[in-house]
Amino acid sequence: MSGSSALARNAGDPARYSSETRLSVEQVSYAYSANPSQAPLFTLEATSFQARPGEIVAILGPNASGKSTLLKLISGALAPLSGRILLDGFVTHSLTPRTRAQRIAVVQQESRLLFPAQAWEFVLQGRHAHSRTLRFESEDDVIIAKNALAQVGAADLSDRWMDQISGGEKQRVILARALAQQPLLLLLDEPTLHLDIAAQVDLLHSLRRLAAENRYTVVVVTHELNLAAEYADQVVLMQRGRCLRVGPPAAIYQRELLEQVFQTPLTVALGSSGRPHVTVLSER
Amino acid sequence: MKEIAIARLRFAVCVTVAAMLCAAAPLRAQSASPTAPPSSPFFREVTDEAGRTVRIPQPVRRIVSLAPSLTETVYALGLQDRLVGDTDYCDYPPDAKTKTKVGGAINPSLEQIAALHPDLVLMTKGLNRLDTVYSLDHLGISAYATDPRTVDEIISSSKKLADVLGAPETGDLIAADLQRRLADLRNRLSALPPKRVLFAVWTEPLISIGRDTFIADALRRAGAVSIVDSSQDWPQVNLEEVARLQPDYLVFAASHAESVAPQLDALARLPGWRIIDAVRDRRYAVISEAVNRPAPRIVEAIEDLAKQLHPEAFAEKPEAGKEKPGKEIPPPQHQTFLHLSLDIHSSSPDTVSRGGCACAR
Amino acid sequence: MRPLTFRRLFFQCFILALILFVAVVVAMKFGAVPVSLYALARDVLRFLLGQTSQISTDYGLILWNIRLPRILLAIIVGASLSVAGTSFQALLRNPLADPYVLGVSSGAALGAILSLIAAPYLSLSPALTALLTPMGAFLGAIATITAVYFLGTREGQIDSSTLLLAGVITASFISAIIMFLMSTLSGNLRGFAFWLMGDLSTPLQKNVYWFLGAGFLLAAGAIYTTATDLNLLLAGEKEAMHLGVDVPRVRLVVYIAASLLTGLAVSVSGAVGYVGLIVPHIMRLIFGSDHRTLLPTAALGGAIAVVFADTLARTVVAPAELPVGAVTALAGAPLFIYLLRRRPS
Repeated sequence: MSGSSALARNAGDPARYSSETRLSVEQVSYAYSANPSQAPLFTLEATSFQARPGEIVAILGPNASGKSTLLKLISGALAPLSGRILLDGFVTHSLTPRTRAQRIAVVQQESRLLFPAQAWEFVLQGRHAHSRTLRFESEDDVIIAKNALAQVGAADLSDRWMDQISGGEKQRVILARALAQQPLLLLLDEPTLHLDIAAQVDLLHSLRRLAAENRYTVVVVTHELNLAAEYADQVVLMQRGRCLRVGPPAAIYQRELLEQVFQTPLTVALGSSGRPHVTVLSER
Repeated sequence: MKEIAIARLRFAVCVTVAAMLCAAAPLRAQSASPTAPPSSPFFREVTDEAGRTVRIPQPVRRIVSLAPSLTETVYALGLQDRLVGDTDYCDYPPDAKTKTKVGGAINPSLEQIAALHPDLVLMTKGLNRLDTVYSLDHLGISAYATDPRTVDEIISSSKKLADVLGAPETGDLIAADLQRRLADLRNRLSALPPKRVLFAVWTEPLISIGRDTFIADALRRAGAVSIVDSSQDWPQVNLEEVARLQPDYLVFAASHAESVAPQLDALARLPGWRIIDAVRDRRYAVISEAVNRPAPRIVEAIEDLAKQLHPEAFAEKPEAGKEKPGKEIPPPQHQTFLHLSLDIHSSSPDTVSRGGCACAR
Repeated sequence: MRPLTFRRLFFQCFILALILFVAVVVAMKFGAVPVSLYALARDVLRFLLGQTSQISTDYGLILWNIRLPRILLAIIVGASLSVAGTSFQALLRNPLADPYVLGVSSGAALGAILSLIAAPYLSLSPALTALLTPMGAFLGAIATITAVYFLGTREGQIDSSTLLLAGVITASFISAIIMFLMSTLSGNLRGFAFWLMGDLSTPLQKNVYWFLGAGFLLAAGAIYTTATDLNLLLAGEKEAMHLGVDVPRVRLVVYIAASLLTGLAVSVSGAVGYVGLIVPHIMRLIFGSDHRTLLPTAALGGAIAVVFADTLARTVVAPAELPVGAVTALAGAPLFIYLLRRRPS
């Protein structure tokens, strides 16, 4: 994504409501309380943003800012208290799990398998949403699964057992399974948490490439400031259940705003790639 | 991957086949019966003591007994030649051990019973399972069930059984004899107060008998009364309760008095038992195991117990006519019941079939 | 990469069916009364040709009225318990789950005891009286399934850990009641210990076999339609949902169907142990964890195991009989320990 056209876009631009919009989050709010009679323990206030095919959106914020809740609402796991989420015109929560899984793929951080499985078996699970009951996997399914593994650069892991590969390799296989679902929307919750730096860059690089090639819409929840700045086309900045601002990185990465949200002194500069770069300052 | 799966499969198949071949090994040799005898066209319908209507082929030529007490009764009626099978536990009289075994009373082998082609299978409600009855019904094998709960019922049950098996005269004779002996006992004991006893089926834990069992009734006939008054058949009894009630005697059933003597001595040394006077003073009465079986032989055990508990009632000379041939009334001692039992049961089947003295007991 | 194909599944099931056939032949041959293979083959031929009148009465009664129904019962019970065990292991995400962990067998036992106690007071036809115990047991099973379901749901959906807790506690409670009844009413309940250990020796009416067979096919069929869902459930419930599994619906279907299978099996045979626990593990070791293969192979494997165990039960201490559950426990426990040691960490 080039710099100036991205800067021109912001949340209020009517151009954003074009028919090209794939994901539309409209005034979505949520409240969670342990007891129906008690006051809610946690609230997510009305949040809105849109995303287009091929775009990467980063939901950024410190802990307990509501990022994961927002992602769960988008994935359809939770029902919003008010507002709605549209994917290509369909309200996500009203879809059946099967149809939802055909359009939305969620990439988990980890996967604990009860009984050992091989990587190709694991990736084939992604085809479940597209196959009817009691059907065995077709040749098409096998080809799609193979392609998915190839796309994440894990073709050689195909016959390996899931409990015998490294964390980074596992992450790639999990991503491959999500790709095998052939979704419109790819959701990731803190995918870089357990990865080393090389693997982190590798992952986000792959995401950008995949989004561009296959026209996915990718929504990533993260608190990694620089990764988000580098790879996201749009950032949704959250703090304590409120969405503070939505826009391209240049609009979000303002020093006063970030210092207030992350409660730590920092500086923002323009990086070599043309994207903002944040340096956290040590205690004065 | 393919090689591993096939290797696993091969392994599984080999293990299965090998294991099945091992199953061929443990087979007890049981003689199956030769060709089935011709089936009789005549039937008789009777109602057994469980309230069931039973169709019994006439005449009854092949009997299988599923309870030791019924085996004894069949022998007592002199019909042992028609007995083709009994349980592993049928040991009295000794000839019963030579019959073809069909398994336990609770878990007999249906196959073995069927292979013997019985006309009638004898069961008793107190020992056998309801399921066995249904299984035999299902196979079309007639099963007759007894359910005696008192000594009188034991006698009448044996009489009925004799009638069902086609020997009503023998049954009448035996019933009359047993009733006579019981009447004699009643006369001797009528003036005496009953002794309070604890009948110990098992000592650790202490288990006695309930008031509705035939054993409790047998005790009453012997001039005793059980201190345990429970509606359960085999109640577990609290030692403190026994100490509170302080029975006059402890009654045990054993095949040989000598074998239990050391255990009885040890009883006094068990913790808690010394508080019972009868244990401290060694007031024990040991009678034959016949008291546990609802068969005619129980009357002997009753007589023996009566003699041990009320020796004074038997001190005088017995009246003429009341004495049975071959039966002595020696002074009461713990060991003598043994000789009593052996003498009486040495009578051979021939004596009975001659229809003479009713010696079969 | 070798995804499952119908051909491979069919081949695997065919092999197991062959082994089952051999087990049935062995079971027909061996017993307290020896039957020669020749006589067996001859009688089978006569039976198939419709010449039933020529079957020798010596063996006829034993083979057709005693052994064959018993073998059929063993097949249905073994298959039902194995499928139920496999399903519960997937549903509860716990490799130690067996069909009885949710209390169905205790409930069935209580139902059987209550019907045994009530039997003398109800004047029923002989045919119905024979059915009283299985019917009472089945009703007890249904009651327990319902109770545990309501205890194990949160916010209207089955929650796996709550369900497991509810089942275990219900089982303990009912077992305590059973112990109380057995100690106070020991006279009426003679021989019940055999039922509790699992006992196939009571033949049943023909209708019952049809009912059992139909029930098995329905329930196992329902579970089989969720086979791929179960595969995904093993990866985690959240993941399964995101991959398109309707988790609440699958949980409900599997819970009810598997509990019904257990209830059917326990009603007619008592609590035969270890089959539902171990056969799934063995099949997983040989064929893998894909439930599309695992469910049918577990059914066949369970049938083989129980037929085999019942043959041993009938022959080892002939003419007395061991309860089938004793044989499966004696063989099953060491086998389970072996599997436990073999598990990859």
